[in-house]
Amino acid sequence: MKLKIHLSLAIFLFAFTPGYSQNELARTLTIEPGVGIHTNFGTDLLFSNLVQWNPTKRLAIASHSSFNINNITQRNFNYVKTDYNYSLNQKFGAGTTLYSKNSSHTFLFMAGVKYTAYQETLDNPNFNKVSTSITSLSPDYGMMYSLKRGWKKYFFTARFYLPLSPWLTYGANIENVQGTLRDTALEFGMGIKIM
Amino acid sequence: MKKQNVLSLVLGIVVGAVVLFLLASCSEEEFNPELTRTFSIEAASNGATYTIQVALPEDYNSSVEKYSTLYVLDGEENFDFVANHCDAISKSSVTQNVVVVSIGYGQDRSIDYTPTKVSAATGGGAQFLEFIETQLIPRIEEDFNVDTTRNSRAILGHSYGGLFGACALAVNNKLFGNYILLSPSIWFDNEVSLLLEKANRAMNKDRYQLVFLGIGEVENSGRMQAPFEAFYQTLRDNYSHIKLSRNREKDLDHVGSKNPNIIKGLNYYFQNR
Repeated sequence: MKLKIHLSLAIFLFAFTPGYSQNELARTLTIEPGVGIHTNFGTDLLFSNLVQWNPTKRLAIASHSSFNINNITQRNFNYVKTDYNYSLNQKFGAGTTLYSKNSSHTFLFMAGVKYTAYQETLDNPNFNKVSTSITSLSPDYGMMYSLKRGWKKYFFTARFYLPLSPWLTYGANIENVQGTLRDTALEFGMGIKIM
Repeated sequence: MKKQNVLSLVLGIVVGAVVLFLLASCSEEEFNPELTRTFSIEAASNGATYTIQVALPEDYNSSVEKYSTLYVLDGEENFDFVANHCDAISKSSVTQNVVVVSIGYGQDRSIDYTPTKVSAATGGGAQFLEFIETQLIPRIEEDFNVDTTRNSRAILGHSYGGLFGACALAVNNKLFGNYILLSPSIWFDNEVSLLLEKANRAMNKDRYQLVFLGIGEVENSGRMQAPFEAFYQTLRDNYSHIKLSRNREKDLDHVGSKNPNIIKGLNYYFQNR
């Protein structure tokens, strides 16, 4: 419940931020490729890119793309073979940027789609071979925090994405969690300032 | 205050209110305490003590009608949700409600719900099934006005609970006629549940069964989907008197798909029993 209250407060405060300084002119465009993991015990590998445009100093508009290789550590288990398992995510969003001495902090609300495709084959010598392939297209929205450190053309970047869909759910086993906590993404990379 | 700040304030309040409303609406409603009976039984087979909660239909009459029974595993988690939805579905479909029997945890669920011992915390399924057969069902059928035939009994389980239900179907098919099996862990111990099914198929295949199989569409952990599909195809291809349905819950994973699949499974059960 405490977590839910904190999340609600974060969203509440987030809604305030765009109003502060719409008229300051400091246009920037950055491209920030990175790699990352989900918080589902680090079994997914993410290759991502954030393109961020600040038409004013405070206002940020962004596009985030990622290709995820899912469940990379367990591809053969109890005669169940994973033939392929990946996701493609594309989100767009807007938010605000705050600045400190050598870094900037961008808070974005992102929304887009997630496409997931995977195939498993049960190849147990006691039974007939059975394959099943699944594709899924689902909404993907949530909040992203992006840190940029260093103010030259190249800079270090770290991102944290908190999905709000599906909302977090728990099971009897603490490892059984889906949604917000499981699919939270941590990404790190190098950014390039284009303008 | 500037106009845009006022707008931000209003937007913030609206967003905050919507989020808080959504969070509040997620809380699970408790089943009517006046229609709930609770007691404990110590199992002779494994020594564990199980808390049993029984949800009675609103129109429960101990002398007239005989009610069907639905045995629910992971009782602490599922009792209120299942009991409330049985009540709602039976009312909306104008069919007789069931007596919901929820079985709480007596010991680690991974011991009770798994058929074979692959670690210290697995392999007590046979003892747990014996407890249900020799102590729980007789107690329920003695104390409540319920139908005592196999076809009037149903079992609902999720994950290891679904595995337990699948094993009950295979090894003691005379106990339950109806199975709501959600994200069953068929992968367990190199698909031993499929081996048990195969070994007992000749005895079971001509008996009436109603089976609802549910899973999440994005249960992509590399172990769930193919064994689930194999179990579905086995039942479809080998059981002559089966009412069988399968559902993949869109966008949802192992845990997120549980409650939506419970609702779909109960609907299927009420409409087809």
